[in-house]
Amino acid sequence: MRIKLTSIMVDDQEKAVRFYTDVLGFVKRKDFPVGEYRWITVTSPEAPSDLELALEPNANPAGKSFQEAMFKQGIPLAAFEVSDLAGEFARLSAKSVVFTQPPTPAGPIMLAVFADTCGNLIQLYQPVIGPA
Amino acid sequence: MLLRHDGFRRLCHARELLAQLDGPQPTIDALAREVGISPYHFIRQFEALFGVTPHQYRIQVRLGRAKQLLATQRRSVTAVCMDVGFSSLGSFSTLFARRFGETPSRYRQRVKAADLVPGCLTLMATSPNRSFREVADREVHDTPENHSRSDACASS
Repeated sequence: MRIKLTSIMVDDQEKAVRFYTDVLGFVKRKDFPVGEYRWITVTSPEAPSDLELALEPNANPAGKSFQEAMFKQGIPLAAFEVSDLAGEFARLSAKSVVFTQPPTPAGPIMLAVFADTCGNLIQLYQPVIGPA
Repeated sequence: MLLRHDGFRRLCHARELLAQLDGPQPTIDALAREVGISPYHFIRQFEALFGVTPHQYRIQVRLGRAKQLLATQRRSVTAVCMDVGFSSLGSFSTLFARRFGETPSRYRQRVKAADLVPGCLTLMATSPNRSFREVADREVHDTPENHSRSDACASS
């Protein structure tokens, strides 16, 4: 049993694929229609064999409520590891990404939180004492 | 842009106010005043946070509600259009078609024929004979526009 796929709900798939590729820099792996929506996955160019992330429509009202509540409470729905948090903070800030938390030390990691423009907060973290 | 806690809360509150479709609809300027941000910064920060301007967000909410009403209620398209706060059927139809790829009446016809369940993972789990996995395992490099919209799970 392996974990190869996870998903994040987005309020607009077209907007999401642009943000996750053009802004964050992930690479689109799959994109085909499923009913009235699309099955879209992205992976990291740094580690293409890592998890695939599906950008799932939040068309289900229950999902939408959950997503909005978590967002409002400031809780990130995904966390991505980076090797240079300060660099990513500067790079993404220059692309008008909104951070709700600047790079902050938190024990064994440094973390920051930004909005993905699709209804989610995302945490970035950098292990301080080398990779786990 | 770094948005501190207070600014973040104000924008979340504004989003909730924009999503309220019942009763009078405040202008964007009035909303900005209500949450205590200048209209210029309000529009700019809202867009950076949510990916759409406040006006676009309101339209999206209206269209989303309209879609839900069309699928679940028997009210006429015109009544639904008014219910969600549009005053012109023409602009409602145009905006609806632009967002969802078909007119409100076409959507209603189609949704009545198929009991749609949103969410791809749900579809993946319930996908019948037509093998979702087969499609999903294939690396797709061409654009979705090249595929028929009736492909994959839509046939279920």
